[in-house]
Amino acid sequence: MDIPDHTLQPDKKGFKARLKSFVASVPLIGWFLGFLGAVLVEYYLGDLISYYLGLPKIPVLFGLLTVIKKPLLIPGTIGYLILVYGLPILIIVKCLLKPANRLAGFLDKRPVTIAALVHLGIFYGALHIWADISDYRLLVLKLTMIGIMLTLSINVINGYMGEFSCSHPGFMALGAYTASTITLLFFTNDKQFGDALLPEVLGAYFFPLALIAGGIAAALGALVIAIPSFRTRGDYLAIISLAFLFIVKSLIENLEIIGGPRGMSSQPHYSTLPTVFIVMVLCIWIINNFVRSTMGKALNAVRDNELAAEVMTVNTRKTKIITFMFGAFWAGVAGGLFAHVLRYVNPGSFGIQRLAEILAMVYFGGLNSVTGSIVGAVSINILSEALRPLEIYKWIIIPLLLILVMLFRPTGLIAFTEFKPKELMKPRQELIKE
Amino acid sequence: MALLRVDNMTHYFGGLRAVHNYNLILEPGHIVGLIGPNGAGKTTIFNLISGIHSPTEGNIELDGHNLIGHRPHEIAALGLGRTFQNLLLWRHMTVLEHVKMACYSQLEYGIWGAFFGSRFCRQEEKRLTAKAMHLLETFDVARFSSQLAVSLPYGAQRRVEMARAMATNPKVLFLDEPTAGMTPDELNRMISIIRKIHEEFNVAIFLIEHRLKFVMELCERIQTLVFGEIISEGTPEETKNNPQVIEAYLGREDIH
Amino acid sequence: MDLFLQNIVNGLQWGSFYALIALGYSMVYSILMLFNFAHGDVFMVGSYIGFGVATALLGFVAVTGIPLPGWLILILTILFAMFFTSFVGMFIERVGYRPLRDAPRASAAITGLMIGIILETGNLAILGARRLSFPQLIESATYQFGGVFVTNKKILIVGVSLGLMYLLHRFIQKTKWGMAMRAMSFDFQAVPLMGVSINKIAPLTFAIGSALASAAGILYGLAYPVLDPYMGILLGWKAFVAAILGGRGSILGAALAGFLLGFIEIFVAWIFPSTLRDVIAYSIILLILTFRPHGFFGQAHSTQLRL
Repeated sequence: MDIPDHTLQPDKKGFKARLKSFVASVPLIGWFLGFLGAVLVEYYLGDLISYYLGLPKIPVLFGLLTVIKKPLLIPGTIGYLILVYGLPILIIVKCLLKPANRLAGFLDKRPVTIAALVHLGIFYGALHIWADISDYRLLVLKLTMIGIMLTLSINVINGYMGEFSCSHPGFMALGAYTASTITLLFFTNDKQFGDALLPEVLGAYFFPLALIAGGIAAALGALVIAIPSFRTRGDYLAIISLAFLFIVKSLIENLEIIGGPRGMSSQPHYSTLPTVFIVMVLCIWIINNFVRSTMGKALNAVRDNELAAEVMTVNTRKTKIITFMFGAFWAGVAGGLFAHVLRYVNPGSFGIQRLAEILAMVYFGGLNSVTGSIVGAVSINILSEALRPLEIYKWIIIPLLLILVMLFRPTGLIAFTEFKPKELMKPRQELIKE
Repeated sequence: MALLRVDNMTHYFGGLRAVHNYNLILEPGHIVGLIGPNGAGKTTIFNLISGIHSPTEGNIELDGHNLIGHRPHEIAALGLGRTFQNLLLWRHMTVLEHVKMACYSQLEYGIWGAFFGSRFCRQEEKRLTAKAMHLLETFDVARFSSQLAVSLPYGAQRRVEMARAMATNPKVLFLDEPTAGMTPDELNRMISIIRKIHEEFNVAIFLIEHRLKFVMELCERIQTLVFGEIISEGTPEETKNNPQVIEAYLGREDIH
Repeated sequence: MDLFLQNIVNGLQWGSFYALIALGYSMVYSILMLFNFAHGDVFMVGSYIGFGVATALLGFVAVTGIPLPGWLILILTILFAMFFTSFVGMFIERVGYRPLRDAPRASAAITGLMIGIILETGNLAILGARRLSFPQLIESATYQFGGVFVTNKKILIVGVSLGLMYLLHRFIQKTKWGMAMRAMSFDFQAVPLMGVSINKIAPLTFAIGSALASAAGILYGLAYPVLDPYMGILLGWKAFVAAILGGRGSILGAALAGFLLGFIEIFVAWIFPSTLRDVIAYSIILLILTFRPHGFFGQAHSTQLRL
């Protein structure tokens, strides 16, 4: 009796297995090149393709909005996704498999910085073209990048050092207002501060300094929490950080010189996509360097057993101060970028609701993990946008989702995972047999 | 000059006198034991010397440096290493990270080096990793280096903890009940490990123990602590035969 | 001097809300070692349930023509609302917190936060954005003592609050369940080992806390008749601060801290421009916590929100 082939070797030649090994053999740069190709297809042919598929315009957010707003267009949208994203990526990735792996191997031998710059350059190029299609995409992309920075910076405090700090919107506010005050005061003719004190053209070059100033303001504010943290941890520190949040918000509301409850507007358009991207990359890079070093691991030691850390020569006070100030700094920088993306800032954006958003991103993505923070920020942001048509029901679905994650993976989706760029960029072996 | 010297240390927790007129002289290369019934104050003495509490009265000097008023991490950096009765490991850190962590005071790069991953920082990290691996090999736990320390069997965890303590380059090593929870087999292994550390690293050892056989075999001198006061100090032979020590452990025979 | 006394009276009333809500927080925190961030929204839900009950009772009166006096309706409203809201609390415990009993405390805290958001949004979705007006069950009457004006509502609010607190105190001190709760606040793990199931204590704790929050909600509706879905945020987070200020393991501390917070806010608003109220009140709290990190009556060990 003939035994069919597939029962003897069940998985070796199955489609799923082949697909899996194919995907595993594609280096990161291959995927980036594929993505670049897809956005180029969309850029030149997107309108045409969507026209022939019966779509009123190019789907802005991978069709996620269409699914909810106009369910009839779902088949067309799926077709669009396949034609514009699916197929081009697959084709490019398959054709360029060998050259991409060779390129990855070539870059692997060079310093990490060079390899990273090449990868980031390609990735940014793709993002830039992708965002060019619509202002909405640009906004979502910028806010997502800012979200990544916020999530990373709170992860340093809440994840790596295991505190429960509720003060992040306060840090963000300090950064947003400081940076805005500098740009409005010095470089803009506005109704808040009157005429610009310095030539307007210089503004864009001073923007990084304004952001850093915002970060420093936030870091100084963090001392208010860092110092009590010497004597108290856990629950009481949570309250102190909460009090800090209320104080900052209320303080801003009372300072008419920075707009009071109405806030300030007309910040100049300094938060361009390249700017936000570069700052985000710097943020990821610096934080990742820190948490992977022994000095950064001290945060974990303080979290897991502060007494043991202290007795093993770790200066726990210095560690706590560094952690709070470092986390606050990046939240402040993110706040400064945020103010210049929206070109408007008011105290209402830095209250309990912002706190809930930031906590959702970091706990969803994963504690003590750079990868987790990136995933969490991107997921929550995209989800938040995709569910926008549902209006308030969005705020039932997202919390439910987070509760589910908490039930099954209490520390987040991708927790305690190291982010190793060098590993990510390595060439993958070719496993396909024709 | 004594390596570690404690003079007339007395400590009160609120109204409770935990330690009274405690004295210790530890010369380089000595092994001294501290025994006594539970609750006598042995771990408290460890905590006082290592800086976790500041003694109400008394003087402590390590290698000429006054220890009073210093934070524990400073005292540790001066050369006092210790292990804990309850194995205070770090739940989410690997074995290698444990040992590297204890080298915190030896880090030559500052936070800016850490932020930007400077070449110096990377070199330092490599150096520390090499040093840590060497220590792990000495304690025979090198093969666990990338595993979480808490996932190891108990005996291996104890050795990791000792490796961690040794990573601080101590001149004096405090061991708090190093054989707690061990089988007779692991006990013998522990004796040889301690002897090895003693010789290879030339470190003075001060240890708390309940297993008298262990203490008698290792220590040159033994202090007996009861209710916070030393009731006996001498060689193992002397201690074994001291009636007060016997009374503290076994009780007194009442003859009517 | 009169103004001072007047503010004392106002502070008592304002502090009553904080105290009642803080009690619920403190019980869950002390006995179950949990931050229940949904509690402020349970206060809101309790207020809305009270609205529903009161409206139903008024409707009943209108339909059947049986003349129930206002104060009776109020009492019935409070009792029924406390009863129903306790089930809300127990449901939250069962669904949100029990599955996470062995999880890190931070994850449970986040879950609570999310449940709170769902309650707010759910309210908004079901009842819409328009604000509801709590029915006036009692005619306002003002009494004058020297230069101090005290309304009957204020007396009622403070009186009911103190009464409920006294009942709670008796329960904790004199009943078997109360004793179990006290024991758990000292040693979480020992009590189940003595044969008292956490699965009975936890829902009971939540039930009592939620009932108290509901009473606070109705009393609040009496004084400030406008209800909106986000009213829990305003009072809830502040009451939470008060609960921690009172110290872990101390019900009395939570109540005192609630009243203290009420006093601080009223007096700060009296002396300083009212917009500075939050800044100054919270700065005072921050100072208190910096110098007494364990709260007023807190037990010396602080529970870490450990991963």
